[in-house]
Amino acid sequence: MKTLRLMTVGGTIAYRALFNWTTPGMFVGTLLVGPLFQLLFFAYLGRQLQVADDRFYIVGNAVLTASLACVFGGTMAVANERRFGTLGHVLLSPRSRTAIFWGRVLPYAGNGLLIAVVTLSAGALLLGLRIPVPALPGLLVAMAAGSLACGFFGLTLGALGLRFRDVWVVSNVSVALLLLLTGVNVPASGLPGWMVTVGQWLPITHAAEAARQIAAGAGFAAAAPALGRELLVGALYAAAAVVLLKVFEVESRRKASLDTL
Amino acid sequence: MRTLRLLTVGTLLHAKQISRSPFEVAIALVVPVVQATLAVYLFRSGGEQHRLLEAAVGAGVMGVWSSVLFGSGGAIQNQRWQGTLEMIMLAPRRPALVILPITIATGVTGTYALLATLVWGRVLYGIRLDFAHPVAFVVAAVVCVIGLGMFGLLLASTFVLMRNANALANTLEYPVWLISGMLVPITVLPAWTTPIAAILPTTWGARALREATSGGPVWPSILLCLGISLVCLVIGALTLTHVERRARAAATLALA
Repeated sequence: MKTLRLMTVGGTIAYRALFNWTTPGMFVGTLLVGPLFQLLFFAYLGRQLQVADDRFYIVGNAVLTASLACVFGGTMAVANERRFGTLGHVLLSPRSRTAIFWGRVLPYAGNGLLIAVVTLSAGALLLGLRIPVPALPGLLVAMAAGSLACGFFGLTLGALGLRFRDVWVVSNVSVALLLLLTGVNVPASGLPGWMVTVGQWLPITHAAEAARQIAAGAGFAAAAPALGRELLVGALYAAAAVVLLKVFEVESRRKASLDTL
Repeated sequence: MRTLRLLTVGTLLHAKQISRSPFEVAIALVVPVVQATLAVYLFRSGGEQHRLLEAAVGAGVMGVWSSVLFGSGGAIQNQRWQGTLEMIMLAPRRPALVILPITIATGVTGTYALLATLVWGRVLYGIRLDFAHPVAFVVAAVVCVIGLGMFGLLLASTFVLMRNANALANTLEYPVWLISGMLVPITVLPAWTTPIAAILPTTWGARALREATSGGPVWPSILLCLGISLVCLVIGALTLTHVERRARAAATLALA
C-alpha cells in the first residue's frame, strides 16, 4: 500500500512540478489542438492518395497522439529533475527507485489517454466516422495500453538523459519516427520489412492495430493478442528504463556528473 | 545600401549562431528526412511514384516552416534568455531591422531541411531531380526563405505579447502544413479553408516550389508570396515598434 501511495502521490507531485505544459492555454494548444490537426493532416493525405480509409487514419492517429505527452513527459520526468537541480534529492530517497520512476509515468499515461480520447472524438465528429457504441470500452483499453507503453518508452529515453546532455534531440526524433514506423500512417504492406520489424518493438504499433480491429467491430477477443503484445512491449521498456537509470546513476556518481548539464 | 548590409551581415551572423546548435541542426536535418521518408512510402502506396520529387520538396518546405515557426516565434524570447535583447534594442536602427535578420536566418537554416530531403530522396530512393523549371525553383526557394523570414517577423512581434507563445507555435505547425497544401492539395480540403490559405505566404511559397518542380505558372505564385510577405513585414514592423516602446516605458524589456 505504501508503495502504491508513493507511486500515485509522488507521480502526481512530480507531474505538477516537471511537466512544462501545465497552464490551460498551453495544454489545450499543444496537447489537444495540435494532435487533432496531425490527425486531420494524415486523414486528408490518406484520402487524397487513397492509401486507406478514414477509419485507418482516424483511429491510428488518435492512438498515436498519446505519444506526444507520454514520450516528452517520460523524458521530462528524469531530464527536468536534472535541469532543476533536484535529481540528487530524488536519488537520496531511501525508497525504491523503480517505484519512484514508474510512478512518474502514470500521470503522463493518463494524460496521453485523455489526448487520445479527445482526438478520436473530435476527429470522428469532424470527418464523419461512426464508431459502434459497444466498441468504446475496448477502444479505451487499447488507447490506455498504448499510452502506458509509450510512457515507459519515454522514461527509457529520459534515462538516456543521465548519459547524454541533449536528450531532447532523441525525444523529438523518436516522436517523428513513431509517425513512420508504427504503421499508423503507412500500412505495414507499404513499408520495407526492416521498418515493420522495428515497429513491432515500438509502442503504439500493436495498440493501433488492436484499436482498428475493435473500431471495425471485430470484438475485444480478436484484438486481445495485439493488446497483449503492446503490454509486453511496454513491460520491456519499463524494465529497460529501470536498468538504464540504475547503470547511469552509478556512472554519474562515479564521475560526479549527476548535475552536469 | 547600409540597410542591405545590416540585413545581410545580421542574417549571416544569426544563421551561423543557429547552425552552432547541435539541437537545431539535428532537428532541421533528421525530422524532415523522417517526414520525407513517410511521404515517399505514402505516395508509393497510393500509386503516385511519379510524384516522389514533389513529396520530397513538400516535406522540405514543411521543415522550412517548422524552422521559421519555432525559430522566429521564439526569436525575441531567445535573445531575452541570452541576455542580449537590451543590447540589440540599443542599436541605433529600427527594431524591425535588428530582428528581421534573426527571422530570415531561421528561414535560411530551414533550407537545411529542403536540401536534406532532396539529397535523401536522390541517394536512398533514386528520385531524379528533374525539375520542370530549375532556375525558377532556385528563385522560388530564395523568395520562399526571405518571404517566410518576413512572415517570421510578424510571428516574433505577436508571439512576444503572449506568455504561452510556445503553445501557439506547437499548435500552428500542422494547420499551416495542411492548409498551405505542402503535401495535401488544397482542393481536397473543405471550402472554408481556401480564403485562409490564400492569405498565407506559405501557400504561395509551397505552390511556387511545387510548380517549379512539376510544371505550372511559377512566377505569379512567387510574386504573390513576396507581396503577402511584404504586407506581413510592414504589420510586423509596426507591431514590433509598438511592443518595444511599451516595454521600454514599462521597463519590462528584459522580463519574461
